Amino acid sequence: MAIIFVRTVVIFITVLIVMRLMGKRQIGEMQPYELVITLVISELACIPMGDPSIPLVYGLMAILTIYFLHQAICLIDLKWNAGKKLVSGSPNIVINKNGIDDAELKKNNLDVSDLIESLRIEGYFSLDAVDYALYESEGTFSALPKPDYENLQNSLPIIIIDEGQFDEKNVALTKRDKAYYLDILKGQGCDELKNVLVLTVDGNGKVYLQQKGKKYVVLNLQWEESLW
Amino acid sequence: MVKTLTSIFISFIVLFGISIFEQKFVNDTFALFTQAVLSLHDKTEAKTATFEDGTAIRSLWEEKKKSLQIWLPHTALQEVDYQLYEAVGFICVKDYESALPKIEVVLGMCDNIPYSYTFHIENIL
Repeated sequence: MAIIFVRTVVIFITVLIVMRLMGKRQIGEMQPYELVITLVISELACIPMGDPSIPLVYGLMAILTIYFLHQAICLIDLKWNAGKKLVSGSPNIVINKNGIDDAELKKNNLDVSDLIESLRIEGYFSLDAVDYALYESEGTFSALPKPDYENLQNSLPIIIIDEGQFDEKNVALTKRDKAYYLDILKGQGCDELKNVLVLTVDGNGKVYLQQKGKKYVVLNLQWEESLW
Repeated sequence: MVKTLTSIFISFIVLFGISIFEQKFVNDTFALFTQAVLSLHDKTEAKTATFEDGTAIRSLWEEKKKSLQIWLPHTALQEVDYQLYEAVGFICVKDYESALPKIEVVLGMCDNIPYSYTFHIENIL
């Protein structure tokens, strides 16, 4: 039984470490350790249930070990901040006053399109509509909108350049070519496409441009007509 | 907080207690069974073992197996069944030379099975 105890602890800690390393992409509305418990406990319950040659006490022992670990982690969560950060992680601020924090996104194996998707789910369609956005430790997304954010999203923005790469389909939607956007980049002092973190444009010609490691800029291209 | 601490303490005590009990129970049971098998081995070597000696060992094993199955996988115990029954069969027809290797195997398993489930790093990994 001591073997079952140690094996369960080892498997639990290994799965927990892997979940933490995978970042917030892999979890949703559960702390990493809660997700690990959910994953592991069903298997532990099923194996002795489905195989009569394995003593039931093996499953019970492993499940009791999971309970013990859960309670121990709850105690760490409550009483030890550094331990809580280690086990559950901490919120990651992915949008701040300077725009998108690329490094924070990468830490969680996320990219700009994932961030834009999360913003849309929360009802923010324009990157400049929020002052701050963050992924909570359990993987949910929160955003603090600008006071007048509703006026900033009159038309749906689409991604033209995502991490140094043109989205050909979206470029065509704007009835412009790549050279048009490269000129815009040059005008903003960006000579290389690979330095662009994101460039979005909405139907009215409002551009959100962020170069890697720089503050974002919002431009108005003064299109003659609204495209969508 | 107190509730959490209490639950941690109780669950640890239960886990620790079960582990200690299991190790002791399995070791003691196999130690007792080994003694019985050793005496059968000596008798078989001396060619004085009878069918009654064999069935007595078999009954002892059947009785012990019932409680061992709570703690050990049944497949680990089935091999003892197989070897022991064969040995008793050979003793029944007084084929001691064939029975002896089977009893040796049973004795080996009496050492190996409890060891496989004791707290050693090679058993954990």
